[in-house]
Amino acid sequence: MDGGQTTTNTAPAGNSSDFVRKLYKMLEDPSYAEIVRWGDEGDSFVVLECEKFTKTILPKHFKHSNFASFVRQLNKYDFHKVRQNNEENGQSPYGQNAWEFKHPEFRANSKESLDNIRRKAPAPRKQAQSNEDSVPTQQIDLLNQQIVAQQQQIQHLSDRYAQLTVDHQIMLQEVMRVQKTVLNHEHVIHQLMTYLLSVDARQRRDSKASGPFQAQGQGGSNLSPSQVASMDDEPSSPLQHASKLLNDMNAEIQFNLGGLDSLGEPPKTGPVVAPTPAMDAAPRNGVVRSSTAAAATPSNPANPTNAATTALVYPKMNGDIEPVVYPVGATNGIDPMYSEHVNNVPYPMPPKQEVDDARRQFADNRKKSTNVDPGWMRSPHILLVEDDATCRQIGGKFLYSFSCVIDTAFDGLEAVNKIQDGSKYDLILMDIIMPNLDGVSACHLIRQFDRTPIIAMTSNIRSDDIQLYFQHGMDDVLPKPFTRKSLLDMLEKHLVHLKTMPQGIEAAQPTAAVTMAAQSSAAQSVKEDSSPSQSPATSINNWQTPGQFQGMAAVHPNLQQVQGQYVPAAPAAAAAYAVDQNGVQYPTAPVALTAAAAAAARPQQRRQVSDMASTAENPNLAKRQRVYAPQPQAMVNPVQAARTG
Amino acid sequence: MAPTTTTKTQTVQTPPKTEGPPKLSDMEGSIEQNTFDQILEMDDDDDDREFSQGIVFGFFEQAENTFKEMEKALEEHRLADLSSLGHFLKGSSATLGLTKVKDACEKIQHYGAGKDETGTNDLPDDETSLKKIEKTLSDCKADYKEVEKFLRRYYSYNGDGSNDE
Repeated sequence: MDGGQTTTNTAPAGNSSDFVRKLYKMLEDPSYAEIVRWGDEGDSFVVLECEKFTKTILPKHFKHSNFASFVRQLNKYDFHKVRQNNEENGQSPYGQNAWEFKHPEFRANSKESLDNIRRKAPAPRKQAQSNEDSVPTQQIDLLNQQIVAQQQQIQHLSDRYAQLTVDHQIMLQEVMRVQKTVLNHEHVIHQLMTYLLSVDARQRRDSKASGPFQAQGQGGSNLSPSQVASMDDEPSSPLQHASKLLNDMNAEIQFNLGGLDSLGEPPKTGPVVAPTPAMDAAPRNGVVRSSTAAAATPSNPANPTNAATTALVYPKMNGDIEPVVYPVGATNGIDPMYSEHVNNVPYPMPPKQEVDDARRQFADNRKKSTNVDPGWMRSPHILLVEDDATCRQIGGKFLYSFSCVIDTAFDGLEAVNKIQDGSKYDLILMDIIMPNLDGVSACHLIRQFDRTPIIAMTSNIRSDDIQLYFQHGMDDVLPKPFTRKSLLDMLEKHLVHLKTMPQGIEAAQPTAAVTMAAQSSAAQSVKEDSSPSQSPATSINNWQTPGQFQGMAAVHPNLQQVQGQYVPAAPAAAAAYAVDQNGVQYPTAPVALTAAAAAAARPQQRRQVSDMASTAENPNLAKRQRVYAPQPQAMVNPVQAARTG
Repeated sequence: MAPTTTTKTQTVQTPPKTEGPPKLSDMEGSIEQNTFDQILEMDDDDDDREFSQGIVFGFFEQAENTFKEMEKALEEHRLADLSSLGHFLKGSSATLGLTKVKDACEKIQHYGAGKDETGTNDLPDDETSLKKIEKTLSDCKADYKEVEKFLRRYYSYNGDGSNDE
């Protein structure tokens, strides 16, 4: 049979498929009629006995015995199973289990048309493709959902972040407010302390004047002179202790809140003040009392009851009730012998007039001298960014007259390029409205990689303008048209770290004064007393040292200006300063001066930081500090004179 | 340059009219004396006034160029350019203390931006702005001419008198 098949197989020419020809051949065999045969119309074929067909015929013709495979093959060649749709019961004319397959070109006695039956190549592939597509679509949907979910999460987070930012701002403001309140309270307490100490000092002076006998007579106590002498220290101990507590507290506050801002008002008890004799006094007396108790007790010395309750600890109270009748408020009752007070009393208010006088005088003299050397350690390098030739020339000339090294840029673009190319400046003066690139944008760009102070020079100084400048990283605003003085002020404010001698000595002297006093050696006190230059006024100033120091801690630029003016007035120091103003370096200066300068090095550094912080954050502060500024001068010069002379 | 000749004729003509060298205080209102003084202070030599004269004469050139540009911009109705030109000349005139010129320039700056002369309220339309600029520009030029004349005379006495550098 196989042989016959093959022969007939080869007979018909054409390129019809093997499968179709095998199928046709199979149907031509009448012996299979019971199992598989042509349909009644000859346009289909019917598998009558499915089982027999699978078992006997398929293996002979198709080398397998899998009916499903056979059906799949048929499908591939686009044969279709004929369904009996027309009748409800599905009755097939060939019987229940018959399979009828049909193809338009597959007909009995029509061998030629077999060529037209082709394997439907693309169809299966299409099928596969659509299956492949469906899976990724699902995945994409899934991913999309995930993205949406993530977006929602991000949205949620950013909302939360915004909320937190607002909360943070509010908290910050609250903290600032609380801080201010605390500082105000501090201030009040300090003023109270000042007053109390003055009262106390008067009491003691009185007791010393009247001597032990009076104390004996009034208090009726049996105290030996030595006891009275030791008592001199004791009454102040609660006050001293309170002062010490305050100082310690201030130091802490300063430390903790220093990062937030430096409002300047806080009594900045410098490190020099910290190791005060008060520390010694407290242990010596062996009395540890809360500051409130200490402050409250002597506040009403006239009250016998009050005095009595504290009498044990402060025996002298009894004997000193009467001094309260002395006029209150003046500081003339201070005993200069009591050096302890020097460091413990922060005296609040220096007189204002002196400042104005000094500044006026300074201003007058300034006019005459064209080239003022502000006393730089080295020439500051300034970049002047200005598109207008007139402004550029004048600004440049002013800067030149302040001993600055000037570079100019025509617009923001050139400025950015210069910084980007690695040019280093100490300060950038930036016009705002310029061609190509405006000052604000230039500043914004520069701020991406450089922190050089940038000052906006502009006539647009409405508050929202200024806010914009600060938002984009500018450090200050110099309103146009600027004057020589406003320009110099700006330089000195932002280049405080480049300032040299005047500032250095300035820093050193209060320090020295305080340190000397802090030693609390009797010799020192006596020396100050006997010094011819030591008028009552200067002794008061000495007494005020901590207060001044507090003003000093945040230095205002004007201080230096004033300094230059002041100094030649002090005859002893005149030579030394003259040297400095001529720009000669330290080594050539007199020995005493060098020492002072060396001593200056450290305090100067410290001040620099605090000053930068305070000036940057609170422009108003500087104004307030002007009040304090010249104050140390009054005190310092005599001391300086005494030291160098 | 054209200014050279005009100045020379001026210096010849004016002394008989006003006696002595011109004083800055005579120009109160047009020139802010303090501002101008601090520029004069920058002169190394009070006799030749090289620095300040250079600046002032440089400003003249700058101002005249700016006026020309303003006129052109006015013809072509370029309000934004007028505003920025106004701002530009405002800066340099303010630096020299030339108050009147500065004020006029500021107005032009505001008008060019579609605002009134104080820069606070909007002007109704471009036409109004342009008209106002036209008027202000001519005022500004008159003010400028006045200070220019004065300053050239001032430098003919106080400087080396040469302005053709």
